[in-house]
Amino acid sequence: MSSSLLSVRDLHISFGGVRVLQGVNLEVKPLEIRGLIGPNGAGKTTLLNAICGMHRPQQGAIAIEGQSVIGLKPSQIAERGLGRTFQTSQLFKGMTVLENLMTGLHRRTTTGFLSAGLYLRRGREEEVRTEEEARRVLQFVGMADFADRRGTALSFGQQRVVEIARTLIGDPKIVLLDEPAVGLSLNRLAELDALLRRIRDQKGVTLILIEHVIRLVMDVCDQVSVLGAGRVIADGAPETVRNDPGVIEAYLGKELRARHPAS
Amino acid sequence: MFGRRNVMLALLALAAIAPPFANGYQIFVGNLVLIYILLSIGLNVLVGYAGQLAFANAAMFGIGAYTTGLLQVHFGWPFWAAFPCGGLLAAAVGTALSLPALRMSGLYLALSTLAFAQATQWVFLHWDAVTFGAGGFKTPHLSFDPIPISKPLGLYYLSLILAVLLYIFARHMVASRVGRAFVAVRDGEVAAESLGIDLLRYKALAFGISGLYAGIAGGLYSALLNFVAPEGYDLFQMIIQKSTIVVGGMGSVAGSVLGAAAIILLLELLREFKGVQEIVFGALLVGFVLFMRGGLVSVLQRYVRGWDEPLHAVKPRAEPAPLPNPEPQTSPVEK
Amino acid sequence: MLLFSYLLMSGVTTGALYALVALGLVVVNKATGVINFAQGEFFMFAGFVAWTLHVQFGMNYPLSFLLAVVVGFVLGALTDRIAFRPIDKNDIVSLVLATVGISFMLKGLARVIWGGKADYLSFPPITSPDPIMVGPIMVIPQQLAVLAGTLIIMLVFAAFFRLTRAGKMMQATADNARAARLVGIRTDHIYTLAFGTGAAIAGAAAVLTAPLTLLYPDIGFTFFLKGFAAAVLGGLTSLPGAVLGGLIVGVVESLAGGYIHSSVMELSPFIVIMIVLVFKPTGLLSFHKARRV
Repeated sequence: MSSSLLSVRDLHISFGGVRVLQGVNLEVKPLEIRGLIGPNGAGKTTLLNAICGMHRPQQGAIAIEGQSVIGLKPSQIAERGLGRTFQTSQLFKGMTVLENLMTGLHRRTTTGFLSAGLYLRRGREEEVRTEEEARRVLQFVGMADFADRRGTALSFGQQRVVEIARTLIGDPKIVLLDEPAVGLSLNRLAELDALLRRIRDQKGVTLILIEHVIRLVMDVCDQVSVLGAGRVIADGAPETVRNDPGVIEAYLGKELRARHPAS
Repeated sequence: MFGRRNVMLALLALAAIAPPFANGYQIFVGNLVLIYILLSIGLNVLVGYAGQLAFANAAMFGIGAYTTGLLQVHFGWPFWAAFPCGGLLAAAVGTALSLPALRMSGLYLALSTLAFAQATQWVFLHWDAVTFGAGGFKTPHLSFDPIPISKPLGLYYLSLILAVLLYIFARHMVASRVGRAFVAVRDGEVAAESLGIDLLRYKALAFGISGLYAGIAGGLYSALLNFVAPEGYDLFQMIIQKSTIVVGGMGSVAGSVLGAAAIILLLELLREFKGVQEIVFGALLVGFVLFMRGGLVSVLQRYVRGWDEPLHAVKPRAEPAPLPNPEPQTSPVEK
Repeated sequence: MLLFSYLLMSGVTTGALYALVALGLVVVNKATGVINFAQGEFFMFAGFVAWTLHVQFGMNYPLSFLLAVVVGFVLGALTDRIAFRPIDKNDIVSLVLATVGISFMLKGLARVIWGGKADYLSFPPITSPDPIMVGPIMVIPQQLAVLAGTLIIMLVFAAFFRLTRAGKMMQATADNARAARLVGIRTDHIYTLAFGTGAAIAGAAAVLTAPLTLLYPDIGFTFFLKGFAAAVLGGLTSLPGAVLGGLIVGVVESLAGGYIHSSVMELSPFIVIMIVLVFKPTGLLSFHKARRV
């Protein structure tokens, strides 16, 4: 079990008496792309928020590389190498795309207010490196031409990609993606698919994605976990999960029929 | 040509050369503008950049003025020792004020800092033994010995030097990792945290810096008036300061300079009529919020080149000027 | 004992007035999610209007009361149109600065119109100024009149909320603005109504207070802070909480003023606000779960 990069054991969370998570177990190995699916209200986003440190579980353990992160602030968990994106665009609207990415480098840089304000050489050099790195990552995700645009001037899909890039630049070990494919056209979907694989293969980042677009999940994920009523009800390779009668019954059946009548 | 840098340098040259030819009143107003530039920059870092809607800046201003004045009066300290203490104490109080800011969102923060400001007024008014109560007190005459310069001119140039240095400091600070962290906290706390930005740390820093700037301004103000009294640091003072950033432009250090100058000149024009001042400043707040959210500087940014204030340092050109098209081989003409 | 009963009584009376100001704040906050920083100036301005009508023009007290309430309502509705409706509801900084701007315009206007008359204006008492003894308790008749007036306003207001169509729509909007819009409630109108109602209550409070105190252009802010302290004690969205909070602030301040020092009175709202906001932002007496703003 020690080979897990992220390990969630017996996680319980309830809000005002509503038990949202009731003993979730999840083991994610390095360099995996893990899909997390399940009907609305199954607790996917709650699980994600708990891993990020935004919700404190009543019971259970969460560990990154074997070290517990329970009780840490979200910013401290980010320091441990966990990045995330959000369901709705969370780009900083007062910044350009480039500056958004430079902000993503925050945890890997050290310039303080004095060395910034006094314009000391160390801070200046770091600023130059930060910008270079940001441009490199923009190039990697294919957004280099948009560096000086405002985030709000981009399309929905482009905002998603910038947000992923902003997380990526902090050199995380794991990135949690909350519905990255919402509202994307089929072409864009294929690009996202390719981008996620490149992130894993070239940057060595483990990905966990919550997704309703089953097509993306089936294509890109190595492993899929199905969340239902606060528990993991199935776990395994996409084909296995797809053919699991319990899952089809609980969720996939109606979802697949609705979205892909041919399959 | 008429970019920010050139215009600011021209203004600086004017501010440096003009005083010997100006009369006493003009120097006084010029000095007032410089003091409000300091106040406005500090407040802009807190409200415009870090997005913390606080109403305690007038109180910080007062703490700077009272500390500078009282250390001279009660302990016989020279101005030059008391003045830095005023700035530092205001910075410390400001930093402490950020603690409630961590637990509260916009509205609640606004109200709790407003209540804090009222409590500060209360201390100024009622701690008679130390603060001399509602009547205030006179500060000792400031001397620039051994430099042969009169007090008004000396204080003016001291203010000018501080305003220029702290302007440059703020400009560099906001165009850096720190400034980006402020804006990230303003535009999205959750996303900022997910990138490893410590909210407490950056809120405290923004509060502390605005306190420092206000404290320094307060020390200069006490010397300018030779007098300190509670009414100088009340709610109306807060509105004047808020107006400088709203009129100049929130989230712009250069905007603070424009705003401070515009507001102080307007204030002097209306100086005999408190009621009219209140109406005008209230209307300015409403009008700019409704019709010109970016302040005066946004007009310049729109129509004049070189007024943008990017949140990153513009890369110094280490190599010879790069080609306009750095990758000509990708140009379709060659294929 | 006599001192205590006197302090208690005057604390309850001023507390009732704070409760009215708090009620106005809560009505606006419930419906719109913002704090109206001009609430105190509505109070002040309506008070001056009543003074002009009653003292200068010799209009009788009930009629000037009514007109001041109407003026309050109009001011509130105007504030909605100018400083709330056109602004992006997520932009808290703009929302706050705009109502702050309105408050200063009103304050300046009052100073220009009424400020010349030595700044402090007195309102003749409508009852005998001599205290009477009710058992062991010393009471000033005007205090009883204020208490009775406050009680009536609160009852009218509660009835408005429970019984009238407008009141019910306001309640629905406060509970869930999106759902209210879906069922066809014009939420824009509800917001206007909320701002107007909140200001009308403040106007009524001012005319009740006027005979007990002096009027001056800066009185609004004091009442605003104390009303806010009361509202925050009650959790900011609870109407009964605002009333109870107002009484607590009034009594605490009166006792502190009587037993410690009169200057401490001004400090009490600050202490209440800080303690509650820092340690229990949902309010000490919240009956409902506070909504995140």
